[in-house]
Amino acid sequence: MRGATQARKYRLQGAGLDLALPYLMLAPGLMIVLGVLVYPLWDGLRASTRAYRYGSPISDVGFQNYLHLWSDAQFLNALWITVKFVALSVSFEAVLGFALALFCLREFRGIRLLRTVLIIPMVVTPVVVAIVFRLIYASDAGMLTALSVALGGGAVQILGNPLNAFIGLVVLDVWEWTPLMFLILLAGLQSLPHEPFEAARVDGAGAWRVFADLTFPMMRPVLAVAIVLRTIDAFGTFDQVFVLTRGGPGEATRLISIYGYDTAFKFQQTGYAAALFVTIGLVVLALAFSAIRLLRRVDAS
Amino acid sequence: MRTRLARILTTVFVLAAVLLPIYWLVSTSLKSNREITQEGTLYPHVPTLDNYVRLFTEKQFGSYLTNSLVVTFFSVAIALVAGAMGAYAIARFRLPFAMERKVGLFLLTLRIIPPVVILIPVYLLMLSLGLLDSWLGLIATYTAFNITFCVWMMESFFREIPVDLEEAAMVDGDSRFGAFRRITLPLAAPGLAATAIFAVLVTFNEFLFALALTATPRAMTMPRGTATLIGRIDTDWASMAAAGVIGALPIVFFALLVQRHLVRGLTMGAVK
Repeated sequence: MRGATQARKYRLQGAGLDLALPYLMLAPGLMIVLGVLVYPLWDGLRASTRAYRYGSPISDVGFQNYLHLWSDAQFLNALWITVKFVALSVSFEAVLGFALALFCLREFRGIRLLRTVLIIPMVVTPVVVAIVFRLIYASDAGMLTALSVALGGGAVQILGNPLNAFIGLVVLDVWEWTPLMFLILLAGLQSLPHEPFEAARVDGAGAWRVFADLTFPMMRPVLAVAIVLRTIDAFGTFDQVFVLTRGGPGEATRLISIYGYDTAFKFQQTGYAAALFVTIGLVVLALAFSAIRLLRRVDAS
Repeated sequence: MRTRLARILTTVFVLAAVLLPIYWLVSTSLKSNREITQEGTLYPHVPTLDNYVRLFTEKQFGSYLTNSLVVTFFSVAIALVAGAMGAYAIARFRLPFAMERKVGLFLLTLRIIPPVVILIPVYLLMLSLGLLDSWLGLIATYTAFNITFCVWMMESFFREIPVDLEEAAMVDGDSRFGAFRRITLPLAAPGLAATAIFAVLVTFNEFLFALALTATPRAMTMPRGTATLIGRIDTDWASMAAAGVIGALPIVFFALLVQRHLVRGLTMGAVK
């Protein structure tokens, strides 16, 4: 309400050019966004209802591309791999990040160093992160093999084995993004009120009771936000997989983004790929908005 | 005593988990390919900088670096200016049909959609405009993405600054825009810095669009150029490691330099 009266005052105050000011200020940004993001998005929607075939004219196929997705075994497989990847990575990151944040809540010597070092994985270019892990996993030149040989063992196979490659990808993601989880959760912990904890200490509550009855319930909204942010991002993971495995061996690490990219740029099925990406976009948006709704309900109760 | 020991052990373990992979990257970049594959040493016995020299003399890493700097600079600069104005309009004005709120939500929605979703149509757009493999194509794309993010983040910074200060300036005869430029903008500077830093990080690291939109060293950015190197000579581990170090070095250095702003940018909004 306060904002409304203020704004009215401003409009009365302004005259001539000032009336147009908000529009003039919004225009440059909106024009760029409309031209480079919104128009292409709309164009993508159009493209998703068409079939592009090399050497023959583009034909309108309605929703056929969308329907085809659900009988495409490769799409369903890629979707399943993505869901497994996201669920595993984000769970590990949440648990590790929360534990680390609780651990770092007290000030002690070395915590600054720890925080500084923890920033590195998430700012290093994802492509470089993938290179780092290739250099760790490689069976001939990798760190794991070097260590194993130094201990008297043999070469270690990671990227050549489907299960190992998938686990290797999850490990990469956990290495790269646990720090973000940690930072968000630490900030959350630091902003909790002190009184309930002091009261609990006076009552003689044990560490576990304090965590289960106070810390965790109070941290739930922050934890939820952190998990949602990571989940949305993890769904779009592309760079690391593209460089680390390109989706292989076989289809073991072929996430939905890799499958979509190959469909568009390797197999030139532009319309079908557009339909795939629109579907993924809708899934992620639905995810995000239901999470926001859920959070509001938690806040209200 | 025991908790102290546990604390030290945990700290050491975490540091090792983060730093060991980095150590391996740097150490590999200082070895020869022979030493890497045949001897499998744990540290470079015969350290060499040859791998780095080769990147710049034979593999056009200078161009990749230049392209990255140019593209990042322009797309972040334009997005900051356009974003600050847009964010201010949303934060301070009341428009018909609550348009300011709808625009904000709209930009946030665009921000949430995974970039892959927009990849194909943006590629088709740049193809039809003849902007594939050019600085301009990349700058336009990154600017648009950065604007959605800048508006969303700066809006909260502007809201935190009391309107009274602008009012006072206007009473003193300043125009509406003048009050924004001379009073609000400087006050929001720390927030704008955090936004800029974050935008620089994301833009410098971007790979997907660089992959689809560029094809030659004329416009290839650092991450894109690095990936090319990997595709072409799969077993040249030494060059790959050196490329990794050079690709990571500027951005890690930058991030550590501004880490307080960075942490603010990363956690801002998430905890509120």
